Amino acid sequence: MRVSAKTKEATRQKVLQVSQDLFNSEGFRETTSRDLAKAAGIAAGTIFNYFPTKEAIVLQLVCDALENAEATFNRRVRPESTLEEDLFLYVSTGLRQLQPMRGFVGPAFETHLGPACGGDANELGDRIRTSHVEMVSGLLSKHGHDEPPTAVHLQMYWLLYTGVLAFWAKDQSRKQEDTLALLDQSIKMFVNWYLAG
Amino acid sequence: MAVNVAELIDALPEVDQDEATPSGGVVTEALATILSDRPVPTGSMRRLSLLGGLQAKIAVAYGFHWLRGWFQDADQRERDLKETHFKTALKMLDSMGYLRGAVMKVGQTLANFPDVAPDGLVQTLDKLHFQAQPMHFSLLRETVINELGDEPHNLFAEFDETAFAAASLGQVHRARLKTGQQVAVKIQYPGIARTIRSDFRNLVPLLLPSRLTGDWQNLKDQVEFARRGIEMETDYTREAETQMRVRRLFFEEDGIVVPQVYPEFSTDRIITMDYLEGDHLDALLAKNPSQDERNDYALKLTRAGSRMVYHGRMNNVDVHAGNYLFMPDGRLGLIDFGCVIRIESDAMWELYGRLHRAMMTGEDSSIREVMMEWQQLTDSPSDAEHLRLSTEFGKLVWKPYYSPGPFDYGDREYLQRGIDLMAEHMKNRCTRSHPTNLMQARWHVGWWMMFYRLGAIIDPAPIVNEETTVTGWEGC
Ligand SMILES: Nc1ncnc2c1ncn2[C@@H]1O[C@H](COP(=O)(O)OP(=O)(O)OP(=O)(O)O)[C@@H](O)[C@H]1O
Ligand SMILES: [Mg+2]
Repeated sequence: MRVSAKTKEATRQKVLQVSQDLFNSEGFRETTSRDLAKAAGIAAGTIFNYFPTKEAIVLQLVCDALENAEATFNRRVRPESTLEEDLFLYVSTGLRQLQPMRGFVGPAFETHLGPACGGDANELGDRIRTSHVEMVSGLLSKHGHDEPPTAVHLQMYWLLYTGVLAFWAKDQSRKQEDTLALLDQSIKMFVNWYLAG
Repeated sequence: MAVNVAELIDALPEVDQDEATPSGGVVTEALATILSDRPVPTGSMRRLSLLGGLQAKIAVAYGFHWLRGWFQDADQRERDLKETHFKTALKMLDSMGYLRGAVMKVGQTLANFPDVAPDGLVQTLDKLHFQAQPMHFSLLRETVINELGDEPHNLFAEFDETAFAAASLGQVHRARLKTGQQVAVKIQYPGIARTIRSDFRNLVPLLLPSRLTGDWQNLKDQVEFARRGIEMETDYTREAETQMRVRRLFFEEDGIVVPQVYPEFSTDRIITMDYLEGDHLDALLAKNPSQDERNDYALKLTRAGSRMVYHGRMNNVDVHAGNYLFMPDGRLGLIDFGCVIRIESDAMWELYGRLHRAMMTGEDSSIREVMMEWQQLTDSPSDAEHLRLSTEFGKLVWKPYYSPGPFDYGDREYLQRGIDLMAEHMKNRCTRSHPTNLMQARWHVGWWMMFYRLGAIIDPAPIVNEETTVTGWEGC
């Protein structure tokens, strides 16, 4: 029997959902593909039709969360705020959306989003990076910086951003308040540096 | 007279950066990263994540490294080097945004303990008068969501986006509760409490002189008191609880108000309380209040202080004009309970009672013995100077109470004598027996300063006598 596109999408969502639950309750390493398939109610081999690896599942979760965050940010952003406030809010809204997966996303950040992976062939990683960078460019232009940021600007921004992500994933402070402080400093640093030319 | 940090940096002599680098693993490494002229450290991610708390830590470390050097009798070359250290620390401070508050707090607290932090520091800090940079609204929103679970605009009927006052570790915003009540919301900078506490822990080893002196124990005691002070000030939960306790001590007829705390909008990082309309001392004086008004406020201040000590067995050691509000209807508003010391021990309380009664006589013969006990002094000649100073200081404190009739707090000589005595205390290292002595002395001087500026002429004795009856101390 052919599986309809609709059923397929539902199963995919189901896999994502149970993965998040199991990675949180059992740990990323400890959870096997077999466990995931079982929890999603599909045959052990079938899961690979959806995601080739566990890492791919994590990346998809991150990607979805950040896409949602984009919408939330657009609702939260205020017309009268400063560039610094907007950039801060954009990143912090993303972090809030990523919160349910904080326990297991750290390694995925480093592998797929870090500056070292450069133009690597990971499609999702690229998508996350591209849409984030587009938003940042948009915010710069909202604040009257119409020339598109240079590659160096964006590389610098990305370095800071992924640094904050890595810090956040391991932040032991109360409600990750240290991440807020670091984010604030990082954004200030970027804005000052950007404005200085 | 506040000096701009940039000016101060300029004024310090230029020394080669290499020379300025202190020895010592992590600090040196991280410093090299941060001090390099690159806008952001390039390369490894690990380094990048160092920036947050560590930058602050290093700045403090640097500042105190310099400070520690002040202790030892350094020769000129060394002293120049120390200045460079300080200069570097300042450079970093300047770039640290609100985390500067953390550094300042550690510094200011230590300034209360002269054996740990010598005069030079106190003066420098006073001159610099750092003003922490406020949190922007995005950071504030995230902090409020973390702490109270929702956006400020959903929690409150109204929320002012700009802070109306700076607090030492945060900022204060006006808001209106959904019940209509006008409130002040005091919000701590994220991460600052932990930064301060851990800086302090990490820095104590750096602070202690390398050459062991005979005063080791005393030094350790002072550091311990400083640490407790810092913990106290960063603990908003304790502060809110103290505030609720103090609030219960006052009644309508006192004309003294302590703002009500709203626990459902308060956490470890936020205190929400009634907003009090009122002037700080400067603003009050600018309006040229009549002598009667001045006296009335001074009587209320006396009542507030006595009530807290004699009924509440606690003492607000953070006496400065910013913590009192002179309300338009003549009432006195008390705010800020971050530095309240509780007198828990019954033995201490009993001893304090005897000291008070002896002091009220104003006679040396009655004072001497109990003062010796209070200060843990003996008959030995080595304690004689200390005993004389303490007795004189105590008499000065109690003078307005035991002198008959109205006392003129505007008397410049009286204030000057107090300040001189405090300086003599420090010079003779009389803080040795009791690490809190200096804190108390500062408290009295802070108090006198306010009364002096008010130019009050009042007889505080009846109020003090009235307030002490509750203690049950014999003869009160
Ligand atoms: N309930 C209130 N009503 C009106 N103003 C207030 C209130 N609470 C605080 N403020 C204002 O905010 C300022 C700082 O508050 P507060 O003294 O509590 O902060 P702090 O962190 O303890 O500062 P510091 O340690 O420097 O005294 C006050 O001087 C006052 O101007
Ligand atoms: Mg205050």
